[in-house]
This record gives sequence, C-alpha cells and structure tokens, in this order.
Amino acid sequence: MQFTENLRLAFASLAANKMRSLLTMLGIIIGISSVILITTIGTSIQKTLSNTFNQIGASNFFDVYLYQDYDYEDMMSDDFSDEMPEEDMFTREMLDRLTETYGDHFTPMLQQDFGNATLRSVTNEEFSVMVTGELSPVQDTLHLRGRTITQRDNQEKIHAIYVSDLFVRQYFQDETVDPIGQTVDMTLSNGSTIDFIIVGVCETPELMDKLYAPGTSDMEKTSNVTVPLDTMLDILHQTQEPMMYLTIRWNTEYDPDMLQDELQEFFEAEYAEKPGYQVIVQNEQIYLGMINSVINVITIAISIIAAISLIVGGVGVMNIMLVSITERTKEIGIRKALGAQNSAIRMQFVVEAILICLIGGIIGIILGIAGGMILGFTAKSLVTTIYPDYAQMIAITVQPSVPAILVAVGFSILTGVFFGYYPANKAAKMDPIDALRYD
Amino acid sequence: MSKNIISMRHIIKRYFIGKPNELQILNGIDLDVQENEFLAIVGQSGSGKSTLMNMIGALDRPTEGTYFLNGRDISRMNDVQLSTIRNREIGFVFQNFHLIPRMSALKNVEMPLLYAGMPRRERLRRANELLEIVDMADRGSHQPNELSGGQKQRVAIARAMANHPSLLLADEPTGALDTKTGRMIMDLFHQLHQQEGTTIILITHSPELAQECDRIVTISDGSIISDTGVTADAVH
Ligand SMILES: Nc1ncnc2c1ncn2[C@@H]1O[C@H](COP(=O)(O)OP(=O)(O)O)[C@@H](O)[C@H]1O
Ligand SMILES: [Mg+2]
Repeated sequence: MQFTENLRLAFASLAANKMRSLLTMLGIIIGISSVILITTIGTSIQKTLSNTFNQIGASNFFDVYLYQDYDYEDMMSDDFSDEMPEEDMFTREMLDRLTETYGDHFTPMLQQDFGNATLRSVTNEEFSVMVTGELSPVQDTLHLRGRTITQRDNQEKIHAIYVSDLFVRQYFQDETVDPIGQTVDMTLSNGSTIDFIIVGVCETPELMDKLYAPGTSDMEKTSNVTVPLDTMLDILHQTQEPMMYLTIRWNTEYDPDMLQDELQEFFEAEYAEKPGYQVIVQNEQIYLGMINSVINVITIAISIIAAISLIVGGVGVMNIMLVSITERTKEIGIRKALGAQNSAIRMQFVVEAILICLIGGIIGIILGIAGGMILGFTAKSLVTTIYPDYAQMIAITVQPSVPAILVAVGFSILTGVFFGYYPANKAAKMDPIDALRYD
Repeated sequence: MSKNIISMRHIIKRYFIGKPNELQILNGIDLDVQENEFLAIVGQSGSGKSTLMNMIGALDRPTEGTYFLNGRDISRMNDVQLSTIRNREIGFVFQNFHLIPRMSALKNVEMPLLYAGMPRRERLRRANELLEIVDMADRGSHQPNELSGGQKQRVAIARAMANHPSLLLADEPTGALDTKTGRMIMDLFHQLHQQEGTTIILITHSPELAQECDRIVTISDGSIISDTGVTADAVH
C-alpha cells in the first residue's frame, strides 16, 4: 500500500480527534521546544561572543611567540642569562619570506610607536599627535574616507599619513575640507620637519572623548596618526628591531586550522638550525573556542535532561495509540477481511504515530525558536538600557541551532517509530475474526 | 463439467476454553461448491454457519481437515498468502455492513483496490464503476452514517466485488434490513450472479430467499444435515 495513502489516512484519523491529538502531542511539543530553546540560547551566546570578538577586531589574528628552551645545566652555569640574543629573534626578512611563500594567506601586523609629533594648523596653531608606524592597518572598522596604509607604502617608502577626523578639524579648522591628497608638515620628536600626504581618514574612537574632561577644546587633544613603518624607519635612519612576538593577520577566506599549521611549519623551518628555540602559534580564537566548547557541553547536558521529557511524551503517544487501536479494532478486522496484510496495518499505525510526533516536533521547534527570539530580544534591550556604553560593542545575535533542529526532526520521527511500533504491531497481529466480532 | 471452487474434507473447528470444556463448533464438514453456483446455507443460530463461512473466506483456519480453494490448500497458507486470497478471490458482505466509519462510500469501495496495489487514478475509476453497478454512483462522497441500511449494504456489496472475486460470501446480508430492502439486495445478488458469473454463498434465515438459490445446505450443531445437491440448471 502506498505511503501517501497511509499519510492521508493518518491525517484523517488525527483530524477526527483534534483535541486528543493535540494533547497527545503536548509531551513531544514540550520536549522538543525545550531542547530547541536551550540550543538556541547556546548558539546565540556563541554567536554573540564571536560577533563581539569580531567587532573588537580580535578574531583573525595569530600570535606568534618565540621561546627559548633551557637545559638544566645551562641554567646552573655561572654565565647563564635568560636574555635572548638579538640575532636569534624574529626578523623582517623572515616576514618577507613568509609573504613570499604564502602570498595573501598572512599579513604581518607590525606596529611601532614613534612618540609625539607636532603640526601647525592652517591658522598656524600648534597641536600634537601620536605617531604610529605600521605595515598594514590592524583595524579598519572606523575607516571613513580614502585608503589605509598599505604594504606598498612601506616598500616604496611613501610619505603617506592616515589621520582621524579630529585631526582634520584640528589642521584645517574646517570640517568640510577634503583632506585627501593634502600635504602636511609634521615636526618629529628628533626635531626634523617632514612632509606627509594624507591618504585616508578614520573616525575618532569614542574612547578619545573619555580621556579628556568635558569642554576640552579640539586643539588641546592629541589624536593618533599612522604612517608606513618602513618610511618612518627610513626617515629616522633606524632599522627594525628584532622581535620575540609577532601578530599576524590571517585571511578569513582560508581555513584557520590549515593556516595555523602553515605558520607553525614555516617558523619551525626558520628555526630548524637553531635548536633550543620553540615557536608557538596561537590563535586568539582559541579562547573563543574554549568558551564555545564549555557552552556546548552545558547545552548538550541540559538538552539531554530536556530530552527525557521526550520519553514521557513518547509514552503518551504510545498510550493514545493503544487506545486508538482498541477503539478501531473493528476497522482493523474489516481491513483484514478486505485483504490488508499485517504489514499494511502495522505501517498504517506507525505512520500515524510518526505523524503525531512529527507535527508535535515541528510545533515544538517553532515554539522553541520563538522562545529563543523573545529571550534574545529581552537580553538585547536589557543590555542597551543597563550598559548603554557597551551596547554597540556587544553584538547580541539570536541564532537557532540548525543541527539541533535537524536532530529534533529526526528524533521526533524516531520517537514515533519507537513508541508507535508496539501498538501498531499489536494491531497487525490481531486475529481478523476476533477483531470483526469486537464491539 | 464445472470445476470445484471449494473442496472441504472433514473440517473440524474447536475452541479451547480450558482443557476440560473444549468446544467443537464444526464436526467434520465435507462440502464441494462448483463454479458459478448460488448456494444458501441455513440453520439455527449458533449452529456454526458463520464459523464455516469464515473458514471458506480464509479468515480462519480449520483445526483439522483439508480445504482447497481454487485448487490451493488453504490450511497450509501463511498470513500473507491468506490476506492475498481474501483480497483477490473473496468478497465479504456482512449482516452489519461493516463499512469503515468516517470514510466516504467511495473510499470504502477503494479499500480492497488499495490493498491490491492499484494506482490511484485507476482505483478511482474502478470504485466509481462499482458504485454505478450497485446504483449508488451519486452517493460516493457520503459517509456511512449518512446512508440508509440498504444503501450501506449496496456500498458493501460494491466493495466486496472490487477485485472481481471468484467467490462472494454473504453472512445474513438482509438480516438487518426490512423485507423490501432485503428484496432489493437479493435482486442485486442475482444480478451479479448472472452478469459477473460470481459464485455466491449466502447465509440466511429466510426460507423464501433460500428457496431462490440453486442449492440449499442445512447445518445443525456443526454438521451438514441436508444438502439439496447441485441442481441440473446450476450452470446457466
Ligand atoms: N471465539 C470463540 N470462542 C468460543 N466459542 C465461539 C467462538 N466463536 C464462536 N463461538 C461459538 O461457536 C458457535 C457457532 O457460532 P456461529 O458460527 O457464529 O453460529 P451462527 O453463525 O450459525 O449463528 C456458537 O455457539 C458460538 O458461541
Ligand atoms: Mg452467524
């Protein structure tokens, strides 16, 4: 007998007893909706954390540390020093080789402070800035106009400068001026005055305002400007100091695990001839991963407890199926007299049980997601009212867990099969004559 | 020469209600029925007519004895084979109609076709054709509780005829109907007997209706006490 016929039959049978069907489903609805609610909360917390991390800009960086292993004997010797020889540290050449080998996989994030510098505005007023040299921008979420500092600026030692909108107000005394392409003269800490071309503008971080007492005039504030690191080193006749620590941004188009392995291998090869050194590559997302796995464990644990209510629901389904089969004994007898095989009867009632559980499951999923949404939005409005300052930073995201939904659907069907089989089999095995006589 | 559709030898049916009071309902029935016969079974209530009928219809297995239906040994068949026999070769009509409630007349008639695995479209066509035969074409969408007794029985007969069974079994089909309606149902049986060539076995309490049949078998206390035999004009 066709499956669609069974489905039609099952629908008709459920429709004939709407109230009873709904009450039967209740256990399944409660079980599934609590599992979905809990997993929705779990994945939403994870998503919120990772979005917040992303927003802060800490998500796609590797930290690379250089450690020196000491022998016990080394440590005991008189001339032991735990200072690392500079020639063994990370060098710019290494970073160049890294970019050569892996192309766009990695962008090294070198930054160096060059202290304060002073400028004179178009109205000849003096103001100061903090100069940072960088290879490429660490963060560009505040970017407004123009472009950021690039690796090419570094290679070609271009006198590029990336400023904030505060700087534009300070320098031009007029916010409507287009600063891109304008040349400014900057007096560095060593006294020399150098010309720079403005290539881009970013928003002044909100934090800036908090550093100054209210009412402080713009000219009294010190904003940050960035210039190409190599240009600055060139101007100051300095060379890059060797480093024991690197921050390397990875391209999010690639698999982070693969990139981490690449990076680890690269540095291990670099230090192959220098035993006693150990390079450790860490992804800041590891911390996120750790938090995520803790949340996962909690979610699964609570879900299992919630799933127990599914068993209760399943027993309810079994009970109603037994009642239904007793009520329909005569119908079963008639069907058998008309030539229904045992397997057809069994299938009919199993499909009916599955349908009850599946509909219950779907209602449960919808309720669970709705509950999760309500909780999420409540949390969001709570955060915005209690911590308005951080509201921007905490990106509350409500995201139902897709795997949990799929598992819930599968589990509903399984519950139907498991708890429907026994009653259905009982129906299938009825003696046709006894069934026909029943009243 | 007609061939035997039913051949029963020494059929015994016992119910075991605890060893000491074992109950023997059929005491060695021998019965042959030929193709296209219209046979009446009569006898007192509790004499074992329905039990015999269920046996003939492959709903029940004998405790002892052999039963060949269309040349095949029923007593050795498994459940799947028996249900196929009931589906394809037997049509049942009951005293209390036994239509499935909350299911339209058409759906009821479709049921045996469904179990025969007939595709939906063909099934609908055949079910409508059957309702046409019993003159119920305009009531296909009605639920059983919206039909009169006679109408219900006609739907039940349409359902019994669905898969062109070789044997139509009717257990007191007019028992729950008034005389006039019973007459109409009886006419329908005659019509099917003549037009479709179906072999019909009818259990009845009415001597007049039994008299209309080719042959009358009388049962008393689980034994055949009289059989008018195959009449000369059994095969029309
Ligand atoms: N399952 C059963 N267990 C015990 N006795 C039964 C059972 N089914 C039928 N009987 C008995 O068998 C006898 C014959 O019943 P039945 O064939 O229905 O008679 P009829 O149809 O001639 O009135 C009755 O006495 C009935 O009580
Ligand atoms: Mg009877």
